[in-house]
Amino acid sequence: MTHFVEVDVRPVLRDGGEPFEQIMGAVAGLAPGDGLRLLATFKPTPLLHVLASRGFSHEAKELAGGDWEVLFTPSDVDWAPEPAGAAAAQDGAWPEPARFLDNRDLDPPEPMVRIMATTAEMAKGEVLAALLCREPLFLFPELAKRGHSWRGAFEPDGTTYKVLVKIGGAAEAA
Amino acid sequence: MPGVTLSRWTMSYFAAALAALLGAELLMAAGFGYPRAGLQDPDTLVLVHLAAIGWLSLLMCGALFQFVPVLVAKPLYSNTLPLPTLIALVGGLALLLAGFLRLGGHLTINVPFLPVAGGLLVIGFGLAIWNLGRTLWQARPLPLPARFVLVGLFGLAATVLLGLVFALVLGGTLSLAHFTEVTALGVPIHAVAGLGGWLTLCAMGVSYRLLAMFMLAPEPGTTRTRIALHCGTAALALAVLGGLAAICLDFSRNLALALAGVPALGALGFYGADIAHMYRARKRRRIELNSRMAILALASLAASVLLTLAAIGLGLPDSAVAASVFLVAFGWLSGLGLAKLYKIVAFLTWLECYGPVLGKAPTPRVQDLVTEDRARQWFWLYFAAMWCGTLALLFDAGLIFRVTAAAMALATIGIAAQLVRSRRLVNVKSEMRLPAGASRPRLLLCTSSRA
Repeated sequence: MTHFVEVDVRPVLRDGGEPFEQIMGAVAGLAPGDGLRLLATFKPTPLLHVLASRGFSHEAKELAGGDWEVLFTPSDVDWAPEPAGAAAAQDGAWPEPARFLDNRDLDPPEPMVRIMATTAEMAKGEVLAALLCREPLFLFPELAKRGHSWRGAFEPDGTTYKVLVKIGGAAEAA
Repeated sequence: MPGVTLSRWTMSYFAAALAALLGAELLMAAGFGYPRAGLQDPDTLVLVHLAAIGWLSLLMCGALFQFVPVLVAKPLYSNTLPLPTLIALVGGLALLLAGFLRLGGHLTINVPFLPVAGGLLVIGFGLAIWNLGRTLWQARPLPLPARFVLVGLFGLAATVLLGLVFALVLGGTLSLAHFTEVTALGVPIHAVAGLGGWLTLCAMGVSYRLLAMFMLAPEPGTTRTRIALHCGTAALALAVLGGLAAICLDFSRNLALALAGVPALGALGFYGADIAHMYRARKRRRIELNSRMAILALASLAASVLLTLAAIGLGLPDSAVAASVFLVAFGWLSGLGLAKLYKIVAFLTWLECYGPVLGKAPTPRVQDLVTEDRARQWFWLYFAAMWCGTLALLFDAGLIFRVTAAAMALATIGIAAQLVRSRRLVNVKSEMRLPAGASRPRLLLCTSSRA
């Protein structure tokens, strides 16, 4: 039986607050094998993806009054404290980003053009941070071909996708 | 590896599909099938299946193999299956058309075309459903646009299985009572499941993502989208399960179809509201030709709803039924298909050719691969001719219909030529065309280079 730690973010949400830090803090504090019982005022779809990338499966149900209860259960094999990016498991902390791009208002594939152009100017080991308005699915294969590694997830607002690219990161981890 | 690579055979699907569209338009221009022959006459069936399987279904399969991975952020389950799928579908279609030509007395060879065609089409569509279904399965929980595609695949399965029953009964291999009844009365259900379930629901799902992507519009995910999905699912289930139950239990088939029409109207209404919201809330003010032409396709969908309601009010005369089906197939589905093809052929070609050299050499923009001014006239000719064709069908003007079909064929050739120009990079300035490290894409194959 999984032990669930309860986090109720409804008061924070009703006050117009942002509970993402609180939730991720609780996740970080879970003992291996523990699950998380989250209570929120809406179905936290972006969070489901974020925690899925950390090896949690979820079961969401609507409660009376329109609130939501989500049970996050760790899967036995995938439990990893780091996000499961291309090379995330192999290397630990990344340096602070050296370059930032806000590509949210650009037409596709302009965000990809800019990211590739910027990565070409950067030194090995440096990190680029870019904001996008969707998950850059066509970008990832191109990053992989050049030996870069990346980590990415939707921000808590659910519409901004933040990707970190480490130059030459894949080669470094290999 | 996360991320989406280019689907190798998608361009071949598109090419085969365009050839079938042109074939269907030329047959209509030649006066083959309806209105000279009856609605369910074998000649009309040749035409209908060339358009529905050859053009629309191959186009949809090719697009789904590329874009379902984009919808669900997971790679396609198998990149090797699309080729055998294409071969089975094209072979099955060819035999199906031969079977109808034989039924119509144009072929006198004594070969059981229809049952073999049915088998091949079941294999082809079965492989497509398996491949796409497994891709969706590994991506649960599915985002909303992908759920439309999932329900659409159920529509495809229903259409194909009904088609197989028809083929076996008409080919003389199957003679059980219920199957013969289904063959006699089930054609409208087959058509609704195909055009409404499979093609329209998938087009809705894919259009949500493509319009959001190319107009920088908000992704749908509202209650409205959810209701559209539930209504669409209910309509498909009522039409197929209700319709078949009605036939087998001797109830009114038309009542079941009319009941399905209620949620169908809801689905289209909520979808329309969603799309209108996306156009209004888009961040990109000046939209490209593909998004402008998609408006004409969406308008055709709205018009086809009105026309269908009018047809029901008039007691379903053949001319009104034909005009409605024509407008759904050639206005909504084909119009949207051609408009989106114009963008995605250029987009995929750009990605294939210039993706590998990004950041290493100056590259053209995607819009440098197209010349919208030239393409615009062909799109307008297509839509104008198609709308006139709808009216000609409605008012039983056979000769005018043939002229409009010829104009549609001409427009299709014009649009296809523009697609070939995009693919061959003809529109790109020569000094930018092939930077060091880039190679010219092949016309019918996408190559994803590996590091």
